[in-house]
Formats: sequence, structure tokens, C-alpha cells
Amino acid sequence: MTEVRNGMTRRDDVAGRDGIVRTGGPAAVEVRGLTKTFGRVAAVQGMSFTAPAGKVTGFLGPNGSGKTTTLRMVLGLVRPDAGEALIGGVRYGGLDRPRRTVGALLEATSFHPGRRARDHLRVLAEAAQVPGSRVDEVLDQVDLAPAARRRVREFSLGMRQRLGLASALLGDPQVLLLDDPANGLDPAGIAWLRGLLRGLADEGRTVVVASHVLSEVAQTVDHVVIVSDGQLRFAGPLGEIGGTNSALESAFLKLTATAG
Amino acid sequence: MLPMIRSEFRKLSTIRGPWLLLAAGPVLVVAGVTGLVQSGANVHDPAIQSKALAHVGLAALFTLIFGILAVAGEYRHGTVTDTFLSFPGRGRVVAAKLAVYGLAGAAAGLVSSAVAILVTAAWWAAKGGSFHLSAAGTWQTVGGGVAANVAFAAIGVGVGALIRNLAAAIAAALAWIALIEGIAGQLLGSGLARWLPFYASEALDRTSVIGSARLLPQWGGGLLLAAYAAIFACAAIVTTLRRDVT
Repeated sequence: MTEVRNGMTRRDDVAGRDGIVRTGGPAAVEVRGLTKTFGRVAAVQGMSFTAPAGKVTGFLGPNGSGKTTTLRMVLGLVRPDAGEALIGGVRYGGLDRPRRTVGALLEATSFHPGRRARDHLRVLAEAAQVPGSRVDEVLDQVDLAPAARRRVREFSLGMRQRLGLASALLGDPQVLLLDDPANGLDPAGIAWLRGLLRGLADEGRTVVVASHVLSEVAQTVDHVVIVSDGQLRFAGPLGEIGGTNSALESAFLKLTATAG
Repeated sequence: MLPMIRSEFRKLSTIRGPWLLLAAGPVLVVAGVTGLVQSGANVHDPAIQSKALAHVGLAALFTLIFGILAVAGEYRHGTVTDTFLSFPGRGRVVAAKLAVYGLAGAAAGLVSSAVAILVTAAWWAAKGGSFHLSAAGTWQTVGGGVAANVAFAAIGVGVGALIRNLAAAIAAALAWIALIEGIAGQLLGSGLARWLPFYASEALDRTSVIGSARLLPQWGGGLLLAAYAAIFACAAIVTTLRRDVT
């Protein structure tokens, strides 16, 4: 319990600094008091944090801790019971061209199995009003060009994950919200993903990576948001909780241990 | 609205399932007309010519399921998430689907009509009858059949948005056609039964050409079916706006 309080105190410290971050990042993601209950399950309770622009933010928590629900609320797919989420100061539903502002990867199974990879992206390109040439660019970017004409049902999980990343990148967005992007990738793929995320953040984009696998994250992230049981436990720069893999892991385990 | 419509067309043109489903319409027409002739129908009777052409309206069963795929199919494969990320204005997404699937339903109805005319003319020629496009009821039957194909595609979009589980939506639609409406019609009596959707469609597509005194007039059936499509569409838009996409 004390540890949790420590976490809360730290978050408050960081919230002060976040004021600076907010003004500095026009494409920052701000979550303010998001709350959602499904039936009798309080999935997310009073969640608040900021993911700054130009940084990779690790959104960490055990399975079922409310990460996916939070991301879905940010993206306007799930309506919060309370609170709001802003992207560059605007709700997702109010964005002029959402795919050109925000790229999202939510799950690797959201493809029609009979559609070819390239056609999947062409559907999204029509929707996002981006030129067809972007389709081939993102296919190259995720190393999927050789499989572009294959139907998605023939894809491995790792290939679906790459196609999902290509979908997120299609609109060349300033904000990327990625739920468990390393899922299904082999070690080489994970190394590639780290480089991709790093490069995107270095271009000034806001990158949020939800994960429960700490080792994938520790080497990549600048900023950490730790959640458990639908509640925020910590939000701040990685350096504040140690910065090394083992320090992050012990902090994670302490902060997410169920209190009571 | 235009990017939504183009994106919907692109979705349809890049998978095979919906087209196989729509192709079943003309196949049903060929089989139905052939069956009618083989069972000894009088090819000299203009009313029988209309009855043969009325198979176009029966093909609307396939445009109904085609329409159900529009929304329920997207939930089935999870692609609805991408759709709503592209277009957070969900009501307009449903409206775009109504337009695109209604148009595809019209195209399917026209193909079924052409096939029905060709097959009926061929059988009539083979059996020594005389097929006349100008015969009484021909264009009324064909036109009503095409309209039924459009209306049921639109109703399908609504049903699929209301019942997002694909299997459940198709099962509910088929059960309604095969069982529920027949029983409800008997319980209500023919005075009220003619206001039910499939009784209305029979009036519209003239699938019961003779002895239709209990049905609404054709235009009445068409208007009623359009009203059903509108009710389903409104209910679909309202529920789609409200529901969480998880």
C-alpha cells in the first residue's frame, strides 16, 4: 500500500512537469480522468496521464489492467463513463482527418481473411484520402512487399502484426497508439520494431506502446505509464524509476501488486 | 461522404464472398424457371410467364444476406474497428453502406432480371409457347423484383447493424422468413398479415401472382417495404452510435 502511495505521489510530481510537456507537444496525447465500467467490472477508473510528443511512452500493466480499454476510449471506439482524452487538444471524433493524425494498432486479427494485404491497405487509403503510392511505401517500411498480394488468411501472426503496423503508418500520422505491437514478432522482428519506434519518436511523433512484456519495452521507451486494476500507478520519465531493465521490472511488480 | 462510399466499394471489390452470394440469385432464377416449366406449366398462359419472371423477387433472399454481411460481417472479422477509426461519424458509415449495398442489390436484381427473361424466353421457345415482353404484367413483375432486391439489401444492412453477431443475424432473418412470419400471419389474419414485411414483398415482387386479393397493391407493398427499410436503418444508426466497439 505504501508503495502504491509512493507511486501516486510520484505521479503528482510528474503531473507538475507535464504542464511543460503539454505546451511543448502539439500532438501529445492527454488522458484526463477516463473512467469506464463494463457491467460490474470497473475496467478503468479515473485514468489520467500525458504521453508527450517526440517520446516513446510505454503504457505498461498486467493483462486485464485496462490498457486496451483506455486506448479504445482515446480512439473514440468506447465511450467513457467519465473523463476525456485529447489528441493535440482535440477529441478523436473531432479530428479533421483522423488517420492522418493518429495511427492505431489494436489487434492483429482485425483483417478480412480473404482480402489481400495490399487491398486491405488500399481500402484504408481510400478512407484516409492518401495517395495509392503510400500503400507500397508502408509495405516496404514493414518488409511486407513480397507478401503484398497474398490473402491475409495465409499470414503468420508476425506478418499480421506487420500489416497492422503498415495500416497505422499509412496516413503518416503524428501520433501512434500501438497495443502490444511486438506480439507474434520473432526476436529479429522485435529488434526491427524497436528501431522503427525509436525513429518515429525521433522525428517528433508521439508514440504510445501498450505492453505487458517489460523486456520488449525497457530498451526503447523514454516515458513510462504503469497501470494496474484500471488505475494509474505511475507516470513519468523512465529515469525516475531506475532506467535499467531490472529496475523497471521491480518497480513494475511493486506498483502493480494488488493492494488488499 | 464520397471517401466513405469509395472505401465501401473497395471493400466489396476485394473479397469474393459477397459476389458468390449475389451470383446465387441468377442461379436460383434459372433453377426456378426450369422447375416451373418441367412441372408442366402452361407456356401459353401470360400469367405463367409472369410467374416465371417473379423468381427475380425470390433472389432478394440473397441480397438480404448480402446486406447483413455489410455490418455484421465487419464485426465478425473485427474490421469494423478500422472502419470507425477512419470515420468516427458512425451514422454516416451506416448511411454509406445503405447506399452502396442498395446499389449492389439493384445491380444484382438487374442481372437476375436479364437472366430470368433469357431463360424464360428460351424455355418458352423450346416448349412452343410465345414469349412476349409486352405481355401483361411482365415489366411490373420484373420492376417489382428489382425493387425487392434493393429493399432487402437495405433491410439486411439494418438487421446486421442491430444484430452484430453474423450467424445470429442470418439465423434470425431466415427464421423470420421460413417460420415466424408465416405463423404470425396466421395468428393475425390476412387483414393484418399483409402489413408484415414478407407479405409486403410478395405484393411488390408479385411472387404470388394469382389470388393476391389478401395482399396490398404492388405500390403499397413497395412503400411499406421501403418504410420497413427506413425503420431498420434508423434503428441501426441509433444503436451503432451508442454501442462500444470492443
